[in-house]
Amino acid sequence: MALLETKNLSYRYGTGTPFEVAALDDVNIQIEKGELLAIIGHTGSGKSTLVQHLNGLLKPQQGQVIIDGQDIWQDKHTVRAARFKVGLCFQYPEYQLFESTVYKDIAFGPVNMGLSEAEVDECVRASAEYVGLAPEQLSKSPFELSGGEKRRVAIAGVMAMRPEILVLDEPTAGLDPRGRERLMRLICNYRETTSNTVVIVSHNMDEVAEFATRVLVMNNSRVAMSGSVGEVFSRYSEISSMGLTVPQITSIFASLRSLGIELPDDVFTVERGEKELLSLLRREGRL
Amino acid sequence: MIKDITIGQYFPGKSFLHSLDARDKLCLTFAFIVMIFVCKNFFSLAVMLLLALLMSLLSRIPARTILKSFRPILPIIILTSALQLYYNDSGTVWFEYWKFKLTSGGVFTAIFMAVRICTLILVSSLLTYTTSPTLLTDAIERLLSPLKIFKVKVHTLAMMMTIALRFIPTLIDEIDRIMSAQKARGADFETGSLITRARALIPIFVPLFVSSFKRAYELAFAMECRCYRGGEGRTRMRKMKFSWRDYAAIAFFCGCFAAVIYLNISFEHLI
Ligand SMILES: Nc1ncnc2c1ncn2[C@@H]1O[C@H](COP(=O)(O)OP(=O)(O)OP(=O)(O)O)[C@@H](O)[C@H]1O
Ligand SMILES: [Mg+2]
Repeated sequence: MALLETKNLSYRYGTGTPFEVAALDDVNIQIEKGELLAIIGHTGSGKSTLVQHLNGLLKPQQGQVIIDGQDIWQDKHTVRAARFKVGLCFQYPEYQLFESTVYKDIAFGPVNMGLSEAEVDECVRASAEYVGLAPEQLSKSPFELSGGEKRRVAIAGVMAMRPEILVLDEPTAGLDPRGRERLMRLICNYRETTSNTVVIVSHNMDEVAEFATRVLVMNNSRVAMSGSVGEVFSRYSEISSMGLTVPQITSIFASLRSLGIELPDDVFTVERGEKELLSLLRREGRL
Repeated sequence: MIKDITIGQYFPGKSFLHSLDARDKLCLTFAFIVMIFVCKNFFSLAVMLLLALLMSLLSRIPARTILKSFRPILPIIILTSALQLYYNDSGTVWFEYWKFKLTSGGVFTAIFMAVRICTLILVSSLLTYTTSPTLLTDAIERLLSPLKIFKVKVHTLAMMMTIALRFIPTLIDEIDRIMSAQKARGADFETGSLITRARALIPIFVPLFVSSFKRAYELAFAMECRCYRGGEGRTRMRKMKFSWRDYAAIAFFCGCFAAVIYLNISFEHLI
């Protein structure tokens, strides 16, 4: 049984006004324990709307969200439980910081859960470590930090609730390449150490190809594809018809192949690409 | 939801009311509000109510939208009416129970008050529904420009108002966003005592103030980059001109106001 699944989920914004738009249309997804699911899709395809359903922030207009076999909208308590089981971190989460110190801000979630002081302390220190914050930064004001550090504090604030599923909406948007890479590694590390499930929404295909264990493609409020990195990115023409791209290395390899160079068509990460190129050069005796 | 608040919103359109000059609308609305308070009996109030209904028809704003704007002030209407029902014991007694006395005077005053408030809200929301905020502040600036001789910075005031109005929807979006983010961290805004609920607002208002100040600085920089330096020597993009419609509206309003005064004098009592 899947850890979390949605059944025939549909949602429209502004129903009954002239501005009505469909954001989700009959969405069925399953999230399995321990995976790193990446959700991709063009702007406005409904990704953020979908993730806000997973922890019960938005109430489905049609369909269900089921965690551990239980509909989260059964009663008040199940919704609140879902908030803590599924930790959601919004797009550009920096704005949610409000406390006087980083420590207190990260503690906001655990305190709301009603944990004891010692447990809260443990959660805060552990999650600060996951996102690479030095202990002395915990006593700083969150408003003195740089943008990237603020982002990591906000993510730590959600991790501190020890959610079974951590959902991050475009965690690396607006960061420089090194910051992106670093944050993704931290998130991966977190997943490996805690063996928790992670869902990320991303627009960066290189990132997705490198880190995700499964990819879900949204298109015009529907789920268009779902599968491993290889399965999704090998359908090049379908992906580009949805306004998305494949990883850069994959398109480079595609152009090389079209020049008649014999290379495999399932290269999605730079690491693998490097290996293939080196072995090609060796075979041709140029190395 | 917080997004349902429609007071002060603008609905673009091409109706008769939309096409009136903003200065005209502003003055007439002001006069209308004064006249509502001049009304002393149901007959004169009826004239004002009919005039307000006629205006809503001419605005072509859907009835549902207009009705929605009453929702936030419903508690005020109910409270005022209830107070009148309770405290006013003039006229004949209709019904008595323990301390509570229902009198004809009380009922009529309660209805009178409720209708008065509703008409007031209706007319003032029609002004903002049919006039874009920029036109409205433009009109205020022009109407107040005689105050310049008293060294009042009319332009600055008007600009401040334009900016404030412009950012209301942005702030509402922002509050929505911050509330969702804090709810995702388990914040609870719905339960608990008054004090816990008031405390629960801190996680919303601190980020809101932080981002508002940031936005204010950014806006100031952006305005300076485009060489904004206040009202001095600034010319206007739009010319405001009265058309026959505006004169017709003024004439019609004057007629109605005359009727109100006449009815006020001819009938001594509320009904
Ligand atoms: N609060 C809202 N009110 C009205 N419409 C909305 C709201 N939020 C989103 N929408 C609309 O719903 C659709 C889906 O939006 P959503 O934010 O889920 O897209 P997204 O896939 O997250 O896009 P992005 O990649 O730009 O973040 C869009 O058409 C959007 O305009
Ligand atoms: Mg989004």
